[in-house]
Amino acid sequence: MVKAVKHYRPPGKKKEGNAAKFVTRSQALKQLQINLPLFRKLCILKGVTPREPKKKFKGTHQTYYHVKDVAFLHHEPLLEIHREIRVHERKIKKAEAKKNLERAKRLREKTPKPKIDRIIRQRYPRFVDALGELDDCLSMVHLFAALPAAESKKIDIECVHKCRRLAHEWQAFISRTHKLRKAFVSVKGIYYQAEVEGQKITWLTPHSLQQVVSDDVDVITMLNFLQLYEPLLGFVNFRLYHSINLKYPPILDPRLEALAADLYALSRYANANVNAIPSVVNSEASQVAESEQGDAKPKRDDIEHEKSELRLAQLQHQLPTNEPGALMQLVEEAASEEEEDQDTRECKNLFKDLKFFLSREVPRESLLFVIPAFGGIVSWEGEGAPFQESDQSITHQVCFSYYLLGLGDLLYLMMSTHLAIGFNFKIVDRDAQGHKFLSREYVQPQWVFDSVNARIILPTVDYMVGRIPPPHLSPFIDYEEEGAYIPDYAKTIKQLQAAARKEVLPLPGVGKEDLEDPQNILVEGIMDRAEANQAAQRKQKMMMLEQQYHNDLKKELQGVTNGKMDSNVDKQLSTGEIQTREESTANAQQKDDADDMGTLMMSRKKRKLLEAMKMSNERKQAKNDLIKQRKKKIDEAHKKS
Amino acid sequence: MSPTKQNEEDPHVSDSDTDSTYEDSSAADDDDGDSFGSPSESESEPAAGDDSEPDEHGESDSSGLHQEESDSSEDEVAPRNTVGDVPLHWYDDEPHIGYDIKGKKIKKKDKLDKLGSFLANVDDSKNWRKVYDEYNDEEVELTKDEVKLVRRLLKNRAPHADFNPYPDYVDWFKWDGAKHPLSNAPEPKRRFIPSKWEAKKVVQYVRAIRKGLITFDKPKEEDGPYLLWEDDSGLTEKSNHLAYIPAPKQKLPGNEESYNPPLEYIPTQEEINSYQLMYEEDRPKFIPKRFTSMRSIPAYENAMKDCFERCLDLYLCPRVRKKRLNIDPESLKPKLPSRKELKPYPTSCYIEYKGHEDAVTSISVEPSGQWIASGSSDGTVRIWEVETGRCLRRWDVGEAVNCVAWNPQPDVHILAVSLGQDVLILNTHLGDDEEQKKIKELLSVDTSTPSDDSGNSATSVRWLQDDKHGGIKLKFFKTVTAVEWHRKGDYFSTVMPAGESRAVLIHHLSKKLTQKLPFKLHGLAVRSTFHPSRSIFFICTKQSVRVYDLLKRKFIKKLDTGLREASSIAVHPGGDNLIVGSKEGKLCWFDMDLSSKPYKTLKCHPKDINNVVYHRSYPLFASCSDDCNAYVFHGMVYSDLNQNPLIVPLEILRGHTSSDGRGILDCKFHPRQPWLFTAGADKLIKLYCH
Repeated sequence: MVKAVKHYRPPGKKKEGNAAKFVTRSQALKQLQINLPLFRKLCILKGVTPREPKKKFKGTHQTYYHVKDVAFLHHEPLLEIHREIRVHERKIKKAEAKKNLERAKRLREKTPKPKIDRIIRQRYPRFVDALGELDDCLSMVHLFAALPAAESKKIDIECVHKCRRLAHEWQAFISRTHKLRKAFVSVKGIYYQAEVEGQKITWLTPHSLQQVVSDDVDVITMLNFLQLYEPLLGFVNFRLYHSINLKYPPILDPRLEALAADLYALSRYANANVNAIPSVVNSEASQVAESEQGDAKPKRDDIEHEKSELRLAQLQHQLPTNEPGALMQLVEEAASEEEEDQDTRECKNLFKDLKFFLSREVPRESLLFVIPAFGGIVSWEGEGAPFQESDQSITHQVCFSYYLLGLGDLLYLMMSTHLAIGFNFKIVDRDAQGHKFLSREYVQPQWVFDSVNARIILPTVDYMVGRIPPPHLSPFIDYEEEGAYIPDYAKTIKQLQAAARKEVLPLPGVGKEDLEDPQNILVEGIMDRAEANQAAQRKQKMMMLEQQYHNDLKKELQGVTNGKMDSNVDKQLSTGEIQTREESTANAQQKDDADDMGTLMMSRKKRKLLEAMKMSNERKQAKNDLIKQRKKKIDEAHKKS
Repeated sequence: MSPTKQNEEDPHVSDSDTDSTYEDSSAADDDDGDSFGSPSESESEPAAGDDSEPDEHGESDSSGLHQEESDSSEDEVAPRNTVGDVPLHWYDDEPHIGYDIKGKKIKKKDKLDKLGSFLANVDDSKNWRKVYDEYNDEEVELTKDEVKLVRRLLKNRAPHADFNPYPDYVDWFKWDGAKHPLSNAPEPKRRFIPSKWEAKKVVQYVRAIRKGLITFDKPKEEDGPYLLWEDDSGLTEKSNHLAYIPAPKQKLPGNEESYNPPLEYIPTQEEINSYQLMYEEDRPKFIPKRFTSMRSIPAYENAMKDCFERCLDLYLCPRVRKKRLNIDPESLKPKLPSRKELKPYPTSCYIEYKGHEDAVTSISVEPSGQWIASGSSDGTVRIWEVETGRCLRRWDVGEAVNCVAWNPQPDVHILAVSLGQDVLILNTHLGDDEEQKKIKELLSVDTSTPSDDSGNSATSVRWLQDDKHGGIKLKFFKTVTAVEWHRKGDYFSTVMPAGESRAVLIHHLSKKLTQKLPFKLHGLAVRSTFHPSRSIFFICTKQSVRVYDLLKRKFIKKLDTGLREASSIAVHPGGDNLIVGSKEGKLCWFDMDLSSKPYKTLKCHPKDINNVVYHRSYPLFASCSDDCNAYVFHGMVYSDLNQNPLIVPLEILRGHTSSDGRGILDCKFHPRQPWLFTAGADKLIKLYCH
């Protein structure tokens, strides 16, 4: 008898199970008749990821794709377009080889371009879906906006410019609609979190410094992603601008653009359009006027209101009378725009009535984004700024810690370092300028970020120029979670927040000392627990003695008193005291036992799960403990000195 | 700039001559406009250079530029030096630079020191034109023509000014005097009329254009974004694709990533150093750092890499939905009834029975609960009073005792002891005279009786009178490990694991008969036990428990333990449940009505379980093991068949110490009280009471 092959399948019988559902990558390549780079590109564009079949029939080292996914790629028009592109490239190459440059140029211009819009619609059927997955897109676009264009790395300048434009457009929208919620300056860059249509979108922008394109990065893969992300962000921006009745793409003031103040230009554009001022862009005079007279604002608002009413009336006129529904919708929209949620209103009013002036050395881009997003008015040192440093209405000036040095120091500094020259000029400038304004506060940029995260205007004392600011805390940590380590400054901020809230609505029931001194409550709590512990110990001791007494009684009753027995009991009594001392260890033992008992009755699966959970908890705890330990050491060192 | 060009044309330029090239080019620059030779200007330029780097200039003077001695060799005198094309540094240490045509050494000239040469240079207005010829060791002053020539060369022109690379074409053939043309044919007509075919072609094109067949390349326009999500109706159309799993979002940064984290987040230098000792994978990816101001934050070097890694994750990682359990780990534990409600059970050690000189291997409690018997490896069997710990009696049997078992009949005070290949039935001399008389009768053996008539009697066992201890001695052919009494006290079974088909034997005490089991044994027998109320017999082999009906002589069922090596067995007094302990530390509870598989397997001991027991009246059972712990469980069996037995672990009894890798060797419950006796390898017997 011939032994059947293990996976023998009679002819005509179809594959079943995992083998029928999944194919390996190389099989997929063969089916699609494309090469690996193109396959990867298609996967990136279409969002096809490998799958994990339950049984890996070709081995664990293989990558598996679902057959449906492969079929999905197979029907993709992009595949055909890429084949055409390949053919085209061959033609160009041929023309070039024959020195037919004219033809090569013409062909190059006519190279078919893949269109992504359909794919975007397919991947994100609703706008909310697109917003939900915008994190990576934004981070990448912002990164590329900061990259140097390099021929050798295949990053062309057009792409960088496009990314820059898109990023600024996005920021302008967020800033304009006050949707920014959190900002965090980290070593890796600046994290922002915005909330658009209920979706929390977090992205990272690199610091505005020269980025290095490292060699261990495959730029082509990233460019593939960018090929998807660029149009995606374009479409999203379009939709967002559309939602606030702005034309997209915006037309910018070329003068500001040249000054690399894109963001400001954009916000100007937005303002101008919404306010429906006919001379759209070059209305700097009016802008300055607006910023200078804060009290003129309500009037403007009135005008705006009138205008919108007027427009409504016009629209009503235009619309056919038999469509009341459409009109209703319009009115509703207008209403919804005015009525914002609580959060947005809070954010909008945080820096209201505050005027900022940025010194030259602060990271201008991010502050220009953040401050208007929270309702502040901002200007900077340099050309194209809306108002000058000498403006008396400025409330805060954001600058860095520079001591005003004497001339001798200055010279010394100049001699010693070449690097500092840029800053030296600044100091000279400051000296020449002559005076500090008393009407404003000079703060470091961290103050802005901390205020934004705390949603209150923090006292500026700690952030004064020339001081090392307090620690900058991450707004993304949930301190409510059990066992989380809370840094001191977080506690301070919480108290300040509570104080700020109390100012607004004084709580009748809560006494002042309770709020102000949380230490007290804590101490009381500790006392309570200590007392309880002691009481429990006493009780246990009593119980033990009682038990012994009972045993004695019982033995007496049974009438078998023995010398040996007695001595035993005596010994037990004498050791009783020692035992009470060792009570705590015994208690621990008992507790361990109790734990053991529980685990004994669990199924193996649950037991393993429990072990894993315990382990991860321990790891977390260890991390926290390490931080606490360090804190303790620092405090001790602090006390000593 | 010019230096590169110059390098190309002059292979002899040494690498220290950048300064001189600078001078040269600067001179060239300001001489471009007017003709060369306005001395004031040409002087001022190098002077400015001198101010900035005076010492460099001095050097440049000594190792100046040397040019053009080979190119224009035809019209110059042959070089003085005859060393040829050899590296000149060969002569660095020599006093001469080479040899002249007659073979005499050419001495090196004295060099001016730096200051001197500098001064000379300053004074000399034509200094910039001087070139040092290394080969001949002399200064050459370039003439105006030569400078011009150099300049031309720098501009990639022909060296001589009067050379024209593009002269007008001069036809060599003179046409003027020719009498005949080359061809005398008349001009054809087609040269004078428009082409018909061309007209046709034009019409064709025009038509094609009108029809739109030919399109012209228009300047391409970028189609920008449009309102893609005009209506969210895309939701309604059901896509037949696989379920889409969105990529997980990236972890949000914590305090440690801040540019100015609280001080406690920054690891100390020692900790940072200790990271180096870790494995690459365990090393923290990000080490917090502190910067005092935002201005001092450097560019993050891994920004690109992080983004790239995220990209890889996005398109190369299989996406699987995983449920993350966010629960308290304690809630996973099953809800057990409170232990307080399940009292009484043994909790703490009250009495230790000391006296044995070696590990106590086995104990047995007298049915009334007043006495216990113990057997030890020191070759003694002792009887103790339970409540006082007094040793009542001892027998020196002379061999390590494997097992002791008290007869379950309260009025028959005899003890079965297995030692080596023998089993002793001992009279304990307890009880009143009447009982003693009965016992003595029972324990008398007719020397002639060994009945080997029946087929299933084991001839290998001999019943002998043991005079020394006043009892019966059964002689076996292999080591007997366990003795177990029937509830009536007339039968007992013995287990010889090595006995093959006669491994388990049943003995009839009153008839002094030994019977072989009428069944085939599968596997190595470990223990055997009688059913507490019916005529059912359990044999525990290494992997399974076999249940037999002794009356009907029938195999009833086999219970699969799933254990590697069972070591002990105990039957619940109800008779429907039994527990099996194993050498891998597992305890199996079988509900025989439920299934032949264990109802519950408890992994409680890390080492071998030596014995398991049920309490006769309380719902308790216990296990003891080599890890020196005994576990007491609550094991409630309900009369309602629908209700599964309730098992609750109650207490871990500690106290014994390990000796020679063995811990507690035996444990037994008190017949009436919820007390547990344990026999340890540390020569002690302990009583745990409630």
